[in-house]
Amino acid sequence: MNALKVNMKKFKVIEVKHKTNHVFCLRTERPDALMKAGQCFNVGVPGMGINREYSMYSGAEVAYLEFLIRYVDDGLVSSQLRNLSSGDFVEIDGPYGIFCIDPQKLQNKFIFICSGTGIAPFHSFVKTYPSLNYQIIHGVRFSNETYDSGDYDSDCYIPCISSNNSGESMRVTDFLRSNPIDKDALIYLCGNRNMIVDSVEILLSQGVNGSQITTEVFF
Amino acid sequence: MRIAISYPPIINELGQKAMVSQNRNVQFFKEPTYLLPVTYAQAATWLRNEGHDILWDDGNAQLKTYSQWLEDIVSWGPDMIVLESTTPVMKFYWKTIDQLKSRLPKTIVVMTGYHSMRKPEETMQNSSVDIVLRSSNVDFVLQRLVDYIGKNKSWRLTCPLDGLHIRMAGSDYRSTGDFRHVEPLDRSPLVDRDLVQWKNYAYENGNYLQTPGTYATSVIRDCMFGKCTFCRYNGPDLTFSLMSVQRSLDEYEELINRHNVREIFDDSGVWYRGKEAREFAQGIIDRGLHKKGCYFGINTRFEYLDEETIRLMGKANFRFVLLGYEAADDETLQKLNKGYQLQHVENCLKWLTKYGMHPHLTIMVGYYWQTQEQLDKTVSEVKKLMLSGLARTLQVTLCTPLDYTPYHQECIEKDMLLTNDYNDFDMSKLIVKTPIPHDRYYEAVREMYSIAFHPKFIFRQVQFLFNFRKRDWQFLFTYGVRAIRRVRQHVFNLTRNEGVDVLTPVEK
Repeated sequence: MNALKVNMKKFKVIEVKHKTNHVFCLRTERPDALMKAGQCFNVGVPGMGINREYSMYSGAEVAYLEFLIRYVDDGLVSSQLRNLSSGDFVEIDGPYGIFCIDPQKLQNKFIFICSGTGIAPFHSFVKTYPSLNYQIIHGVRFSNETYDSGDYDSDCYIPCISSNNSGESMRVTDFLRSNPIDKDALIYLCGNRNMIVDSVEILLSQGVNGSQITTEVFF
Repeated sequence: MRIAISYPPIINELGQKAMVSQNRNVQFFKEPTYLLPVTYAQAATWLRNEGHDILWDDGNAQLKTYSQWLEDIVSWGPDMIVLESTTPVMKFYWKTIDQLKSRLPKTIVVMTGYHSMRKPEETMQNSSVDIVLRSSNVDFVLQRLVDYIGKNKSWRLTCPLDGLHIRMAGSDYRSTGDFRHVEPLDRSPLVDRDLVQWKNYAYENGNYLQTPGTYATSVIRDCMFGKCTFCRYNGPDLTFSLMSVQRSLDEYEELINRHNVREIFDDSGVWYRGKEAREFAQGIIDRGLHKKGCYFGINTRFEYLDEETIRLMGKANFRFVLLGYEAADDETLQKLNKGYQLQHVENCLKWLTKYGMHPHLTIMVGYYWQTQEQLDKTVSEVKKLMLSGLARTLQVTLCTPLDYTPYHQECIEKDMLLTNDYNDFDMSKLIVKTPIPHDRYYEAVREMYSIAFHPKFIFRQVQFLFNFRKRDWQFLFTYGVRAIRRVRQHVFNLTRNEGVDVLTPVEK
């Protein structure tokens, strides 16, 4: 059978930066596409025949594209991506999705609640909209997982470290229970499903209306 | 409370029945396929478990006439009736609701479904419905709602649950805001098969190679991708959630051992992938369920399953794998936000075929931009895949904008709709402006379905017999005969408006 004639969507890897043993940042050439901060892309290794969705980590206006990726044990795509080097190629398809900020609501206050690499779209928001009024509540297991926390204003970034050896251990849900959210804020949640389930329940119990909440659940 | 979950029979002027149930694009069929609405079955089970009196009232599957159905439900006297609807039958439902409310004025009628979810005001204004429920998590919301109504007489005024439109009095109604719950699927019960009379759905389904077959409780609610523009599983109101692998395995074990089911299909928008998919397949093998003569089927996407996972699925006795192959040109796939590349289609199909599975392609034609060149490409690629044995069955539909999906919105915004009469949205005809005459798309439908009768296709199926797999023999000798009947019906349904202008003009 003849192979289907298609446009290959290969892009060069610029850098793979290892943030921790399990998390790395993949920087690639930027696809020639209109993209909005927070959208996701399907990423795969050429010839592999499978892909996975990753939210963009970089700002929408920069000349490259970045993804913050957790290496999953037994994860075929993430393990291949982790081993890429500068000059290798990846297949990228997209952008997709509506986990974005409505430009007409940029004046609002935003609360970004996330776990692990679920911070990626929020990093993209902050890099794209420098004057954003936001607060990030970031749940991680260890203190070395507050990836690029220096990119946020220090009073806007709240790490919730669940296995903290040098300070107080806290989960995102603990923080939300003891610090009720500003009810007028727009609330975005991204990351682990259980964290989102529990957080949304807390928010609703505190009187937040569902119309204020936007979620992106990681598989 | 006495609660009826109801599907009134809908029969058109040709005597064909409309298949309305969760995640179905309504089509009218003379010989219908009865599909279990899984989420609603979970809702029924949950409410029954909480002590309510439940009537599982599927007039279609129970082979009732409309008047029989109406008299039966009126005499049962429910406190609440839950209905599910979608664009092509909205007008029917509005009329039915008014009829129900005139016969049962004290009964609370709840409308659910993707259309009213996106346009709740319309249903509030066009019918005397009491509540429009704006969530695909009908089981979770109903459980809370019924509980609240039972405990609060002034529920219309006070109900705080999000995602509802509630009628206060007359034409006055209120909204409780958008639904945003992300529900852990394991909290919703597995379907009680006896409650929903599962055998009514166990035989008349063209996708079963063996019967009785059944639908599993879906492991994924909504879709983990959720970005295809034509699909209902798309929008800020939808949140994907997943059931644990062990729980699903427990259900499969019960279906096989207790109910002697011989084919199980999971109709999740997209089934597990990666680690969970492998864990599930391995679990089937570890429990010995792969040797019980039961086939398993799923929906998936190209580029989701790798060869190792597919190999394991083959070993676990998976057979039917349904894949959306909406078009064979990149431009269309990009416009639809499909998220896969055509270059990987063959690989995936090769792996599935290599490990004994029967890939089923779902193809659509008639996008408002689709040129003759794009259409021809789709037809020729589909032919190639079918004649080479890489795909075993297919289904073609006319792409119809429905339920205010992004594609539907796009058609409205770009003034592409030829009608705004919801009755015309029944997928029996093209309802969008296209760059080539509609008859070309109908011809393409006929051409693709006729592949089933192509000597090369039949020869290829004969070749499969030499793999000495039982399923290939069943495919040719049992399923083949049934398929002919269904293919004829599909071709009739999808091409009967060829050369005919039947649309109601757009009212601005």
